[in-house]
Amino acid sequence: MWENGGIKKGLAEILELPKDIILDLPKIIMIGNLQIYIENHKGILEYTDNRIRINTKNGTLRIIGKNLMLKNIVAEEIFIVGEINQVEFID
Amino acid sequence: MVLRLWNYMRGYVIIRVQGLTLERFINICMARDIYLWDVKRIDNTTLETKISIEGFKDLKKIVRKIDCKVSIFEKHGYPFWIHRLKKRKMLLLGAFFCFLLLVFVSTFIFSIEIAGNENVEKAEIISKLNNLGFKPGANRCFINLRKLENQLLLEIDQLAWVGVEIKGIKAKVEVAEKILPPNKIDKDIPCNVVAQKNGVIEKVITKSGHAVVKEGDIVKKGDILISGIIQLEHIGNSIPVHSYGDVYAKTYYEAMGEKNLTEIKEKKTGQKFVKKILNLGNVELSFNRGKIPYEFYIVEKRSKKLLQWRKIGLPVELIIEEYYEVNKIEITVNEVEAKNHVHKEALDSILEEIPFEAEILNTQIDFTVKDGVLYGKVIIEALENIAVQKTLQIGED
Repeated sequence: MWENGGIKKGLAEILELPKDIILDLPKIIMIGNLQIYIENHKGILEYTDNRIRINTKNGTLRIIGKNLMLKNIVAEEIFIVGEINQVEFID
Repeated sequence: MVLRLWNYMRGYVIIRVQGLTLERFINICMARDIYLWDVKRIDNTTLETKISIEGFKDLKKIVRKIDCKVSIFEKHGYPFWIHRLKKRKMLLLGAFFCFLLLVFVSTFIFSIEIAGNENVEKAEIISKLNNLGFKPGANRCFINLRKLENQLLLEIDQLAWVGVEIKGIKAKVEVAEKILPPNKIDKDIPCNVVAQKNGVIEKVITKSGHAVVKEGDIVKKGDILISGIIQLEHIGNSIPVHSYGDVYAKTYYEAMGEKNLTEIKEKKTGQKFVKKILNLGNVELSFNRGKIPYEFYIVEKRSKKLLQWRKIGLPVELIIEEYYEVNKIEITVNEVEAKNHVHKEALDSILEEIPFEAEILNTQIDFTVKDGVLYGKVIIEALENIAVQKTLQIGED
């Protein structure tokens, strides 16, 4: 009955541990609509000027905007600048 | 900013990647720890990104795996700059020689400045220096300054001290002149004794020669006191002799002093107006607008310099000007004090003129007040030897 994620989730809640580490979830920080900072991603699926799709643990993160630019990419984090209009998780 | 500087120092290239699987390219780069930054999508099949030199080298290995074409668009940074310089060795060599030449040229003296001379002509000092090999165009490495100073002292008798200093390409020669004792005239040379100052004769002591003045005579500067020409009556001829003697005369010294009897004093009212000016090189930027709101004021200036090290600093300076409002108040000066002040002022100006040996017989001071100003006239009567020898010009008589 208990899924793998379920146990971890419960554990994280009991011990009050940060969920991004325990559950391997992305941590997303936005500064206005100018910058977005994604930690703990699983790679880029699509990159164009106005649409970026990033693979994460709980689905695909889609960012829609204008003049999007990857300021910084390393294995753990992506830093995107530009005019961001939409950020959504799609399954 | 720091990151950009770091990237510049390490060097980076801007590459363009062409292909259909650009996302795969990025992911592979991430997986291989190749750092990409400023990734831009140019069009559907092209991507522009910055990559470090090491990263670019690693990229060559993976480029075959993926179906992408990588081309260098621009090269940036210090390593490339050095590399370019290596290719142009002659330029480097030229810059080096230019620097060397500059150092070499700066060892030559370009101009000579002379200070401290009063009686000795500047041209004379310069010509003497030129004779000693010290002139514009001379190399300072071959000049022994201490030796030069001594030689110059020997060459020009009137000098008591010479200091030569070389600052960069400029040489500064400082001299101090001797104060020469009065010319002694040799005993064999016929001479007159003349007055060196105006005065009234008090006493004549003739040791040789023929006194032409007596007690009570008024003489002017340059008048003959003891003649060196002796008239021999029985021969009817005159013979020149070396005359000497002491002639004491009363001399008078005069000086004026003055002082306003009403003084205007400035008193701060406590009101203050501060003006701040930022000085950037030669450009002044004032933070405050408007005029100074006072009629009478005292200005106090302070300046703060940024990053000052000895005389070198950034040409940025903050000047703070404080304007203090003042009231002008007229004060009547105490007359006794004013008189003392005037007396002292007059005496100070006069005392330098009176020789040390002179005996002061009498001092007199007269005060007059005119238009609110106190004038004081000091007269000093002194007794001193005014005799000075002067060579007889042959053929003069």
